[in-house]
Amino acid sequence: MTEFATAVAASPRRASAGGSGRRSGDRVRRRRRTLVAYLFLAPFLVLFVGFVLAPAVYGLWISFTDWSPFRDVQHFVGLRNYTDLFSSDSTTSGDFWSSMRATAIFVVASVPFLVVVPLLVAVLLNQKIRAASTFRTVFFAPYVLGVAVVGLIWGYVLDTQSGVLNHLLHTIGISSDVPWTVDVPWVWVSLVGVTVWWTSGLNTVIFLAGLKGINSELYEAAALDGAGAVRSFFNVTLPGLRPVMLFITTTTVLASANMFGQSYLLTAGGPGNETRTAIMYIADQGLSQNNMAPAAAMSYLLFAFLAVVSVVNFRLQRERVQKGGVR
Amino acid sequence: MRKSMARGLGAGLAAVLALSLAACSGSGSTSGNDSGVSGNGTYDGPKVDITFWHGWTGGAAPTLVPQLIDKFNAEHKNIAVKAVPQEWADIAAKLPLAIKAGKGPDVAVLHGDDLATYAAQNLLLKSDAIVKSLGYTAEDFPPGVFDKGNYKGAQYAVPWSVTPLGLYVNKEVLAKASLSDIPTDKASYEAALEALKDAGVKGEWVDGYVFTGTFEFQSLLWQFGGDLYNKDVTEATFNSEAGVKALSWMRGLIDQGYSPANVAQDGNIKALLASDTAFNWNGVWQTTNTAFDGLEWAAAPVPQIGDEKAVWSSSTHWVFPANKGQDKNKTAAAATFVKWMNDNSAGWAETGELPGANTVRDDPALVQKYPNLKPFIEELPYAHYETVSPGINEANALVTTAINEALTGKKSPKAALDDAKAKADRILEQNRAKYGD
Repeated sequence: MTEFATAVAASPRRASAGGSGRRSGDRVRRRRRTLVAYLFLAPFLVLFVGFVLAPAVYGLWISFTDWSPFRDVQHFVGLRNYTDLFSSDSTTSGDFWSSMRATAIFVVASVPFLVVVPLLVAVLLNQKIRAASTFRTVFFAPYVLGVAVVGLIWGYVLDTQSGVLNHLLHTIGISSDVPWTVDVPWVWVSLVGVTVWWTSGLNTVIFLAGLKGINSELYEAAALDGAGAVRSFFNVTLPGLRPVMLFITTTTVLASANMFGQSYLLTAGGPGNETRTAIMYIADQGLSQNNMAPAAAMSYLLFAFLAVVSVVNFRLQRERVQKGGVR
Repeated sequence: MRKSMARGLGAGLAAVLALSLAACSGSGSTSGNDSGVSGNGTYDGPKVDITFWHGWTGGAAPTLVPQLIDKFNAEHKNIAVKAVPQEWADIAAKLPLAIKAGKGPDVAVLHGDDLATYAAQNLLLKSDAIVKSLGYTAEDFPPGVFDKGNYKGAQYAVPWSVTPLGLYVNKEVLAKASLSDIPTDKASYEAALEALKDAGVKGEWVDGYVFTGTFEFQSLLWQFGGDLYNKDVTEATFNSEAGVKALSWMRGLIDQGYSPANVAQDGNIKALLASDTAFNWNGVWQTTNTAFDGLEWAAAPVPQIGDEKAVWSSSTHWVFPANKGQDKNKTAAAATFVKWMNDNSAGWAETGELPGANTVRDDPALVQKYPNLKPFIEELPYAHYETVSPGINEANALVTTAINEALTGKKSPKAALDDAKAKADRILEQNRAKYGD
């Protein structure tokens, strides 16, 4: 261990010693700059390696074993945990794929709202209106709440018989008790609605920053060319937001695919296991049922799916960004 | 300056690596052996510090437990108990690994359905000798509880508390249907529901979630003569005729208009507290719910709907972890602590749990002080507790799913239970492989 430490400690000196040789001073300086950059990155790198990379690699290893926290020796089982997920006579495959289905439903249903609603709110907040910063705070406020608080509050609002929402619906003449947290399709409406209310603030703030970066002369030029508000939104605002849009769609898809707390607290995965998301199932299998190895395999499969989705998303949007640039 | 920083970083990186490596390598454990501890509830060895893990973080416990421990420490000069309260979920996540690493507590409290899982993994000391030295037998606790600590012929636990289900009654709502007597059997219960329906009240709201629906179903299953699993827990039997009868009866409450459809989680206890319904099957822990203050309410034994009296209950137990290199003196001191706690558990009723020790619970002073507990104590002769089998909670979760599916109309009671049984059987098989049977 000490050897390792001194090797790292000695490396800056060795680098500078190498530079004092025949190489040009320019090169030495550049090297030093790189080194300084790495030095500043190092604290993050240490945390990243310690808490992300190392556990991830360890998880990959677990997924190839019959890992049990209570045995002293773990056996290598090759791809069995993965093939089990595709064979109908394992205990996990049915539940896993239905949880993936639930995750997919949630992503498809929530992402459009989580992008469009914040975009519209950001455009409105970007107008020169009174108390704009107050509104900004108001829209961002729910985001600072923890999921437990959100779950509890909405549990009261969405209760079938005694919830505030159904009570309000009664007063406007809708007399049936809508099972917001108990039955499909309402559970999905609730989960998406709660998530939009809870997390829109973050996307709104990012969109706002993007809007501030659009040159106001472009709007003036568009106005001179006779473009109205709608026209300039589509031809100036949206193209100007493309890099921001790429970031937001990517992070929002990932965040939605990792949904856990909302359905854990509001619907308990019900009705049946209809709203049990992949993360919920993986957490239950890995942490509660001691099926760590299948859970690790599931995590990697989910990861593969998300990686593919992210790459596709990146490709699609980057092409558009480039096309926009050419035009 | 820069050099020392780099060295610091290097050392930090190395430390992190070392840590994760340490986490990788599993460590052996000296478990499964009998503790070899003896004594008669008194400890006269050298002074020891013992740690105690428990999950009592809510209600009256956070003030009660430290008081008890202070008193114990004051009375025992050679034992210092240090309690480490944490959420039950945290205990479940940390305790096995801590014991494996020799860093677990000397004594802990676990729920009845976890005991076999821990015992199967050799995480607990076989405690027959300890139990014997403390003078405990099955007769010192409510019928059926002591055996929940028995796995493969060895005793691993000493009961601490039991928490049966009961019938909570909102008497103000009952009065709306001109009723005053609390029903005790199928005929009177259904008559009350019918009378309430005529008065415009849905009398019992059934839900498909753990804390009421699942426990009500299990009570009914036993009342109709069924059981969750067969005797050696190799097969699920909750889809038996008794199970179908039980779930059909619950579904019938909705179909006959005695319960609204689609009750959300906890919707029924909220409705009882809001005087929207008359009955709620719920655990003894609700007796401490302050929302009952100012309400005309009563608790009673659950009505007998099936052919015999039966009610769901859970239990908590003392265990002695088999830490790697466990100090025998510490375990002996822990045994003394357990005995003392059980002897002084009268105050535990404050938390809405029934003390396990018969001598304490049967003391008339207890019911005098906590009259609401009386009906729950009356139920104990016919209460059923957790299934003793490692990893059983994964199979149990399927019961809740089936109830949820039947009550939301996704499947018929029989189809829902049959599907759950098929899956549960595979889980049981998997558990046998996982925990080595």
